[in-house]
Amino acid sequence: MADIARQAFDPLATGSRSRQLRARSIVYALLGFFALLYLSPLLIILMNSYRPLAEIVREGFISSPEAMSWRYWGEAWGSFCLGGSCEGVSRYFNNTLIMTVPATILSTAFGVVNGYALSKWRFRYDTWVFGLITLGVFLPAQMTLLPWAFVLGKIGLSNSLAGLVLVHTVQGVSFTTLFCRNYFVAVPDDLIKAARIDGAGFWRIFRRIMLPLSPPILIVCVIWQFTGIWNEFLYGAVLTSGSNQPITSAIVAFSGSGTGERHYNVEAASVIFAALPPLFIYIVGGKYFVRGLTSGAVK
Amino acid sequence: MQEAMQPSLGARLSRWTPQLVLVPTLAAAFMYVVVFSVWTLWISVSQSTLLPNMAYGGFGEYAALWKSKRWIVAYQNLFLFGALYVLGSLFVGTLLAILIDQRVRFESVWRTIFLYPLAISFIVTGTVWRWIFHPQTGVERALNDMGWLSANFDWITDRDMALYVVVFTGIWHASGFAMALILAGLRSVDGDLIKAAQIDGASMPRIYRKVVLPTIWPIFAAVTVVLLQFAIKTYDLVVALTQGGPGVATTVPAIVVYDLMFERGQIAQGAAAAVMILAALAIVLVPYVAWTSWRDRKQGAAHG
Amino acid sequence: MKSHRAARMSSLSALAVVAVATTAQAEPKINMMHQWAQGSEAEAIAKLGEMFEAAGGSWEQTAISGHTSDMLAKLSSDIVAGNAPAAVQLKGPEIAEWSAVGTMANLDDVAAEEGWDDVVAPELVSVMKPGGNWVAAPMNIHRVNWLYSSVAILDELGLEVPTSWDEFNAACDEIMAAGHTCIAHGAADWSDATTFDSVVYGMDIDLYREAFQNGDVEAMRGQGMIDAFAQLRKMVGYMDDGINGRSWEQSMTMTMTGEAAFFMMGDWTVASANLAGFEEGEDYLCNQTPVDWGGTGFILNADSVVFFGQEDADYVEGQKLLASTIMSPEFQVTFNVAKGSIPSRTDVDLSEGGFTGCQQQGLADLKASASEDTLVRSMAHNMTVPQKYRGAMMEVITEFVADDSITPEDAAEQLAEAVELQD
Repeated sequence: MADIARQAFDPLATGSRSRQLRARSIVYALLGFFALLYLSPLLIILMNSYRPLAEIVREGFISSPEAMSWRYWGEAWGSFCLGGSCEGVSRYFNNTLIMTVPATILSTAFGVVNGYALSKWRFRYDTWVFGLITLGVFLPAQMTLLPWAFVLGKIGLSNSLAGLVLVHTVQGVSFTTLFCRNYFVAVPDDLIKAARIDGAGFWRIFRRIMLPLSPPILIVCVIWQFTGIWNEFLYGAVLTSGSNQPITSAIVAFSGSGTGERHYNVEAASVIFAALPPLFIYIVGGKYFVRGLTSGAVK
Repeated sequence: MQEAMQPSLGARLSRWTPQLVLVPTLAAAFMYVVVFSVWTLWISVSQSTLLPNMAYGGFGEYAALWKSKRWIVAYQNLFLFGALYVLGSLFVGTLLAILIDQRVRFESVWRTIFLYPLAISFIVTGTVWRWIFHPQTGVERALNDMGWLSANFDWITDRDMALYVVVFTGIWHASGFAMALILAGLRSVDGDLIKAAQIDGASMPRIYRKVVLPTIWPIFAAVTVVLLQFAIKTYDLVVALTQGGPGVATTVPAIVVYDLMFERGQIAQGAAAAVMILAALAIVLVPYVAWTSWRDRKQGAAHG
Repeated sequence: MKSHRAARMSSLSALAVVAVATTAQAEPKINMMHQWAQGSEAEAIAKLGEMFEAAGGSWEQTAISGHTSDMLAKLSSDIVAGNAPAAVQLKGPEIAEWSAVGTMANLDDVAAEEGWDDVVAPELVSVMKPGGNWVAAPMNIHRVNWLYSSVAILDELGLEVPTSWDEFNAACDEIMAAGHTCIAHGAADWSDATTFDSVVYGMDIDLYREAFQNGDVEAMRGQGMIDAFAQLRKMVGYMDDGINGRSWEQSMTMTMTGEAAFFMMGDWTVASANLAGFEEGEDYLCNQTPVDWGGTGFILNADSVVFFGQEDADYVEGQKLLASTIMSPEFQVTFNVAKGSIPSRTDVDLSEGGFTGCQQQGLADLKASASEDTLVRSMAHNMTVPQKYRGAMMEVITEFVADDSITPEDAAEQLAEAVELQD
């Protein structure tokens, strides 16, 4: 609906033709400049993942490549020796996938149901409940590390991917509940009231009314959670052991001080591998992200 | 409605379904937020060193913390970095959103380009930008090699300027998020308002300044909160980018907490630092919450 | 080697008999927590795993790279969760500190069988036995006070490697006048402290012992420390502008390619230099850092593996097997050739196995220094005072290097205050 109103307003359509042209070129020039600035790190990583190490060390990171080779990609994925095995980052990649997908799904599921309950079913102290859940968003990870370790130890899940899934789910539910509740507030209450008069209960309304309306915010939750959990280092490294470690551990391993040379090229390729899943989700879900966050976060 | 007849167990249960559904989350949140925070508070006045120790130890750790130069620098950096990061990301995000809002072609491409940094972990962001900023491996080196020998781009090695490098990198990372929200907000502004202003003869920048931006003020507030949460928790970015250096010039509270708790085996002092971080959060959050509830009450009163 | 194996087999079978008496045959297993996720140390640890498995154990490792604080965070978390690790890489005063708060395994049986008390360097034995019995096995001995000099620059100016700090300053003046950088350095808290270790030690060994080994606050604010800071300030003047953010490997490369004259760092430099193809004698020379009191100087750093008490009999067995494997001459040679350090056993012959000239010199100097009573442990590398003091001291030192406006008098006072604050 906003788009139709939009089309009537073209900010650059005010003024003479030459002014319009000048204004448009400024806009594109600025956008281009910023785009280059934003893209440059990605381009630099990409470029350096093809160059031999000696060349990188000699010429620095920002120079035109002389020799190029695909080899480092293969090494990064399958044969580079990291943390006790020489399988590249593939194992860590899979670990992170096994951990992130369940945690994302669980936290989103809880979030959507919680958001629905908190926005459409008022009860005493519901604002306090919402506030308590939301406060979880702000706690620094360093502070909650030891308590989590204690809790996981008590329930027998320490040093396991399942334990990590639990931690990320609990911490993620704060975000997803926040987003979903603020999104569902915008759903007209009349719809719900009508359904209740017809005799529909909590779950019926959820299935028939809320769920069909929720894809935008679901995607927002999935994107936010997936990215956050996938890129997380501290809990991933500390609450797992041995072969369970996530890919962020592998990335950090490249920069660890040791007496070996630092393999910048393999590191660059690994960084790209590590960034691919979140990037993919952003590119595919980007437009829903824009649409969903607005209604979700405004209040 | 159903109170007239004798409610069955099923009916009674279903009345409580919303609350029941929330119970697992509430229990988890209670543990996570309340219990963990209280634990941290207690530990900050305990005798904990290498491992948590519940014996009472007094407030000495807070005193020791505030006498340490590194903590004072870190706390100052928190506010300085936090303010610049949030304001900078808002400014750049708004600028980019306004640019994209000009009915440009390939909008989804521009949007993706500005949004993708958020998908990259802070560790990688810090590492790559460090390569770019360091005089011997990055931009300065490239410029020198191209012949411009006096080129200087070594802020990252300069005590006074290194923090701004961190701010810049943080803005690169998060401004796309601000842009995405603000862009959607711009799109949702009522067209009639703008047409009215146009009829009055206002120029484009003026329309943006006087009409559009004030209308989407709630979005700015929301973006600010999420950015603040990033700023306060900043750890990986600084560690990967400057390691807190040169010296302690760019250190931030989260680094001090972690370092005290684990590297130095002073868990009590680390907990005290964590409590101070929460205090900084409260300074920012409490006014916001008070303001929103005041605003909601005002709206409620207006609607009668 | 054979009698050694026999000793190990007999100790193992003795243990096996005991195990059978209590439970079913325990299968030695271990999960070793360490910081070396990649590079030559990781390869050496992999080799340790192979040796462990060859002796009948089941091997697992958890490599936590990044900073030491990450590994220590995992250690604390594991202990809080009730899973103290079977083997973890800890060193220096940490061993004593953790012994005080946790239960450690007792390796005295294995130590007695294999005679560790006789072959391990004396300064190290006390570190491995904080409570009187063996709880840790030392993997190597690093020497921290090496001075690497660029052959190219020394030859060009006809200079000898300086042996005292005055000579060093004079040499640097000449080198700077000729247009070269004198000292290659990468500023970080630990590398600044490494250099300062050598400065204080070289200028006044008693001051080093009092201030850095014993943590005596009065020694820290004394004139000797002020003089040491003044020397450090002078040395910062001999460095170039790019010290912030430079890695130590880059500094090493600068020296060995002739861009800078001197580089002060521990002997792990040698391992890196070998990998990068630099030749001792052709590209670089290795000597001890300057000492004003004439004699052999040796600042010691050692990596070690600590064993926390376990309830699982398999882990108990595994710990004994791992400790024994670590102390075996075979592992000591493999690990130390890769790492650039020297074995923690003094009875290993370094002329075989691929040790470089610098490493062999290191062992000779270790023995000489021990007999001259000039052997000390390194503060910069966490072998003397507890971390809370060391961290505070390193902060002061690194700030001093980074900030020109801090005077040596201020710095000495700050050093003392920082340590007092931690009490």
